[in-house]
Amino acid sequence: MERRFRKPEADLALSPPTPSIAQHGSRESRTHTLRIMSNNHLNQDQPGRSIRGPQSALTDFLASQNISAARIRADAEARRATATANAASNTPATERSEQVEEQEDESDGVVSGRSAAAAARRARDQKRKKQQEAIAKIKKSKAYKKRKRTDSESDDDLALALFNETMTPLPGQMGNCEICGKRFTVTPYSRSGPEGGLVCNPCGRKLAKDEDANKKQKKKKGPAPKGVVGRRKIQSRILDGTYDVGAKPLVTLCIETLAKNIHLADDIGGLPSPVIDRIARLLSKTRLLDSHTLDLFLQPHHDDLKVYDAAKLKSDDFIKIFQLVPQLKRLKLRNAIQFGDRVMQYLTTRNMSLESIYLHGANLLTEDMWAEFLTRKGSYLKGLQVYYTDKHVSDKTIDTISNVCPNLTRLKICHNQEVSDEGIKCIAKIDTLEHTFSIKNVPDVDDRLLDAIHENCANLSKLRITDSEFMTDIGFTRLFRGWKNKPLSFVDLQKCRHVDAAKPRENEHMVGLCSQGFEALMEHSGTGLRYLNIHACRHIPGETFEKVFASDRTYPQLRYLEISFCEYVNDFIVGSIFRSCPNMKEVNVFGCMKVKDVRVPRGKILVGVPNAVGMRIEGVDDASN
Amino acid sequence: MMMSDAPEPSKHVTLVSSDGFEFILLREAVMISPAIKGMLDPKSQFAESRTGRCVFEEINGIVLEKIAEYCQYWYKYKDSSNVPDMDIPVELCLELLQAADFLGLDRKISFQSHR
Repeated sequence: MERRFRKPEADLALSPPTPSIAQHGSRESRTHTLRIMSNNHLNQDQPGRSIRGPQSALTDFLASQNISAARIRADAEARRATATANAASNTPATERSEQVEEQEDESDGVVSGRSAAAAARRARDQKRKKQQEAIAKIKKSKAYKKRKRTDSESDDDLALALFNETMTPLPGQMGNCEICGKRFTVTPYSRSGPEGGLVCNPCGRKLAKDEDANKKQKKKKGPAPKGVVGRRKIQSRILDGTYDVGAKPLVTLCIETLAKNIHLADDIGGLPSPVIDRIARLLSKTRLLDSHTLDLFLQPHHDDLKVYDAAKLKSDDFIKIFQLVPQLKRLKLRNAIQFGDRVMQYLTTRNMSLESIYLHGANLLTEDMWAEFLTRKGSYLKGLQVYYTDKHVSDKTIDTISNVCPNLTRLKICHNQEVSDEGIKCIAKIDTLEHTFSIKNVPDVDDRLLDAIHENCANLSKLRITDSEFMTDIGFTRLFRGWKNKPLSFVDLQKCRHVDAAKPRENEHMVGLCSQGFEALMEHSGTGLRYLNIHACRHIPGETFEKVFASDRTYPQLRYLEISFCEYVNDFIVGSIFRSCPNMKEVNVFGCMKVKDVRVPRGKILVGVPNAVGMRIEGVDDASN
Repeated sequence: MMMSDAPEPSKHVTLVSSDGFEFILLREAVMISPAIKGMLDPKSQFAESRTGRCVFEEINGIVLEKIAEYCQYWYKYKDSSNVPDMDIPVELCLELLQAADFLGLDRKISFQSHR
């Protein structure tokens, strides 16, 4: 029975046929055997066999099978001593580990005290011999020769390293941690320590953390020097329209540095106002403008103040603006949430005459306050722009504007739910307004509006009608043909098109901007047009584009063209566009699936080509015909 | 070396700071500044255009050194599209900004336009 019990170990260990003898006297020799066994790293330390406590069921069972628990324990202890010595010998710092080993031997020596220590010592001698043999063998091996060629280590070091590699315990075995010396079960995930041995889980985690930190540092130091940007960044700049060749201007570099270190600045008063404006923009971009940095921009002699992000300013800060800059004429505040009644009250009661106000997001201002302000100060106003104020700018307010602002030339009201048709009628009464006609997202307005524009507007430079589903090609043609207005410089007619999910291509009533309308538009405004957006006007046929951008037609002013989702646009048309528009900077052709491989002249940008190369093709050809 | 008295325009020009520091630079490199370009224009009949020496009474040596560095930096990267930012010392930032504004270094000027 006992024989069978020990069988696996015998199979593994006893290559010299040493029988596992039960006599006490053979104990040392068996330890030797074990030592040899461990040198061949066959040490299968089975935890199930180190049983303690005479009361355990297994002990009882073994006792009944004539196996003594005491002997098993002695065996186990001897094995543990071996394992300790083994683990310690894995570290090159032999002397220290020997000490540790000795100590451990002594502390182990409850049962098998001195004899175990002696056995260990003898085992060590034996082991060293074995190790030297093994090293000699390794030196002859192929792996060694291979490594030797690449590594510059000395012969012995290398051989020892290889030896230690083969010596590390296999998964499932117990080993002593190289760092903390604790015993642990080796798993496939156990890390090797700095000196080649294995480390326990907690130490391994610490090691991993250190390594990660090192890696990160290396990455930071990495090959890319400061300021050089990657491909993604360049692509992003192209799409932002800020891409350019060559170094940044020195002023830009300085402003960027200044904006980064704005907390160090005490005064930027001596700088010219365009520079100050650029600083203000950069600060707002990174949301650094607060009551402290606002002071830098408040110069008593200025008449112009632009705050691009006032979200962090309080009511008192706004009042401070009016106190410190009494000559203020033009005020622009974005995200001016706290620009409430109290601030407006202050402004109304001071002896200030603002010429233009740009307020974005000031939705705490009430309708009454608007009325009071406009009544008192409206006569000075030349420009009024109000964005995102939800409710309180109403038809009544617009009515007030039309009555009390005789000098108003510019009025913009965006994203206000309260303004309705009534309000627009009131706007129509303000005859000093110039330049722009802009209605966004108006699905229901029809041709009558176009006719009205044709009749009444003679001074527009900007026209924006978007998302109209009722205006027809005939309407647009009537608008542009024989229009007494000067050529427009800005036209945005995006998404004026027929939408029918069932029959997307049929457009029998010629809804939206189509062939005739587009031709008429280009005929009327082509000479002065700088910006044209006909995004998704998808019923303009290819022949019309070819006719409009024919070789004998030029549009010298056109810089920006958006023809995305005009499905008939193809390579030839894009080429014709570049030929006809010598000053073109950027053409957008998202969703024009017929644009495949077009040659772009140098310095021009084509965005949105559906190819694998990327989002844009920046001009490479010098010849632009 | 500089040949400030030679009738033929030298390939190099000298920038002199208020405290007497002199920086010798490639003529092409300083053309980034419209102000300096105007001073050195042979048609302008300014003394600078004859001597190739530009004296800046308002700019001290430390700032002018940075300006000179920028000119070389701009010249080096004039045709590359991926340009690393030049390092601007924070303490010099405001003075340098004023000087740069004075010299008109606030616009992108393509190299070809100076030919």
